[in-house]
Amino acid sequence: MVLTAGRVPAAAFPTIVKHNAVILMSVLQLPRDRTARWLLAVALSASACMADAPSPAQSLARPAAPRPARVNRRDLPDVFSKPAPSSLADLRAIQERVAAVVSQVSPAVVAVELTNDEGIASGSGVVISSDGLVLTAGHVGEKAGQRVAFTFPGGRTATGRTVGVDEDADTGLMRITDAGPWPFVNVGDLKNARLGDWVLALGHPGGFDAKRSLVVRLGRIIRLMPGVVQTDCTIFPGDSGGPLFDIYGRVIGIHTAIASSTVENFHVSITEFFDTWKELIGPPERPPAYSGLSVVDDAVGCRLSKIERNSPASKADLREGDQVLKVDGRSINVSATFERWMAECGPGETLQLEIKRGDEVFFVPIKLRSQPGSAK
Amino acid sequence: MKPAFFLILLAAGLAQEALAQDLEDFPALPRARYRNGQQVLNAFAPISAQTRNSIVELNVNEDTVALGAVVDASGLVLTKASEIKSGKLTCWLASGKEVEAQLLAFDDDDDVALVRVKAKGLKPIQWATNQVVEGQWAITPGLADTPQAVGIISALPHRIRPQQAYIGVVFRDDRIGKPTVRLLMPGFGAEEAGVKPGDVVLAVDGTTVTNFEQVKEILKEFRDGQTVQMRFQREEQEFDARIKMMSPKPGQEGYYGNADERENGLSGDVSLRSEGFEQAIEHDTVLEPWQCGGPLVNLDGKAVGLNIARASRVATYALPASLAREILAKLKSKAENPPSR
Repeated sequence: MVLTAGRVPAAAFPTIVKHNAVILMSVLQLPRDRTARWLLAVALSASACMADAPSPAQSLARPAAPRPARVNRRDLPDVFSKPAPSSLADLRAIQERVAAVVSQVSPAVVAVELTNDEGIASGSGVVISSDGLVLTAGHVGEKAGQRVAFTFPGGRTATGRTVGVDEDADTGLMRITDAGPWPFVNVGDLKNARLGDWVLALGHPGGFDAKRSLVVRLGRIIRLMPGVVQTDCTIFPGDSGGPLFDIYGRVIGIHTAIASSTVENFHVSITEFFDTWKELIGPPERPPAYSGLSVVDDAVGCRLSKIERNSPASKADLREGDQVLKVDGRSINVSATFERWMAECGPGETLQLEIKRGDEVFFVPIKLRSQPGSAK
Repeated sequence: MKPAFFLILLAAGLAQEALAQDLEDFPALPRARYRNGQQVLNAFAPISAQTRNSIVELNVNEDTVALGAVVDASGLVLTKASEIKSGKLTCWLASGKEVEAQLLAFDDDDDVALVRVKAKGLKPIQWATNQVVEGQWAITPGLADTPQAVGIISALPHRIRPQQAYIGVVFRDDRIGKPTVRLLMPGFGAEEAGVKPGDVVLAVDGTTVTNFEQVKEILKEFRDGQTVQMRFQREEQEFDARIKMMSPKPGQEGYYGNADERENGLSGDVSLRSEGFEQAIEHDTVLEPWQCGGPLVNLDGKAVGLNIARASRVATYALPASLAREILAKLKSKAENPPSR
């Protein structure tokens, strides 16, 4: 039986999650003692070091969605095409493959810590590019621009920020802002995924523990649903945002939710990350719009002081000295208001200027374009 | 302030039923093919055939409470101590016989007991000598033709800290000064040992201390029920006290639930004693508490460890083979030379 996990809006699983889930921020009720406060202090001093980090807008190019690495089931030992292993040789083949995948992917799995008013919250994540893009769950990232402390399995630490989340799909993206290169893994897809495929869950249940570090679990795909994969890889609070790997070592899911049965472990499918990528990387930075107009203030209000040649303004019925009364119905009393209004517009937009020339009042449309010399 | 851990929990009750119905709209893998389904377990039959005569099921007053690993053909068995300490001890063998058993000695530090089983034809378990690696099969065989359950090694051997226990002292809240007793918590060990407010701690467990943090660090290593030696100063006098460590009981200040309660029933049943081991392999096998105490074996049928606790939804602990063998040697000599009274 082959099932693909495309989007089926009518029965979208995220809705199931939304209607049935409660997000428990602190499942492990640790005693309120000095240790916890001390941990908080550590996180705060770490945040202080991040204060000088460049803002997301400056440092982060808008990354392209990752492409699934190509694989072929025929490259795998026979056991991975069987309903179940049937001999010790089959079990050995699984063991070899699993151990190889674990050592290949472990270096890229991180513990993440976010500090907010409530204290510290811990989750997991996985690095998918050498410059430090990290996939996680939406409920771990919370919102864009949060400071994050990352810990790699060997204990190496890094700092960064949340880039974006999609709450409905429970997808999240973070970025390590410290200089790389960082160990990373390939992402996969679920096009050829089948029920019964062997999968591995990695993460930090209960938060990062230096003595224990990363925890690896094996299971099989039990259900493939729109946007969500169910497995019998047991996961636990703290694992959220951690990766589910296929037997090729590609990320095919991110841990999101559990129910009480140990075989009810849910992972956001990787497909959801592709589908929500635009949300995750945030709105595009628009190039500034160009009108070719300069304005000054005088006793009456805002006046056109200069109209550049071959500009949108020069093609419209405008003259130097005209008074700008309104832009798109909003009153303009000073030049600063006009300039702020223009700065919020993008190339291609058309503005209605209400102009007063002598005793005459009339409307002039002006179509903005991008700055001369920038993209054409 | 407390750390929070992220994961969405699907709520219990009505919502859970709604979820179950929604899930049933989608085709599922047949149970027999789950990681612990019968079809998968069948592949492990040769391992069970090889090991079943090296395993016993221990009963206390006719209830099965633990598995045990046969370590000597004469009928010596290692098992989980806390499950078998009181009551009438018998055990089931792979042959189907129930025989008498006798507790010879136990080790509180790692919760291991040495038991003598009155039976012949038992086969000692073979110990593995190579180190475990993450991802290798972790097999828990029982008396049946196929294992109780299987999983993989999740994390290499590491120390498992004991459940937090206290002497029952609130110290003066100054970080630089000497550790000075401010208050005594009623019903805890320090009060019982005669410690008074104003007493200054000089040493804990033989180590000289000068501030509260040092006291805390040393005390963290002690378990509920253990006794710690502390030296105090009261005015001009110095004195020693032996103080019993205690984990808060329900209703007492500082109590934060047993392992079951802390995990909101997401883990099934966990072992009563599931914390405080020198070294433990962590594996993801889902066991019942009574399925602990026996060997954890590899694909060669050799014991890489002794299952010692079901600890959480994601973790079962096994004492590594090397540690189990050390403890075995200690327990043997303890059994041969019982302390004279």
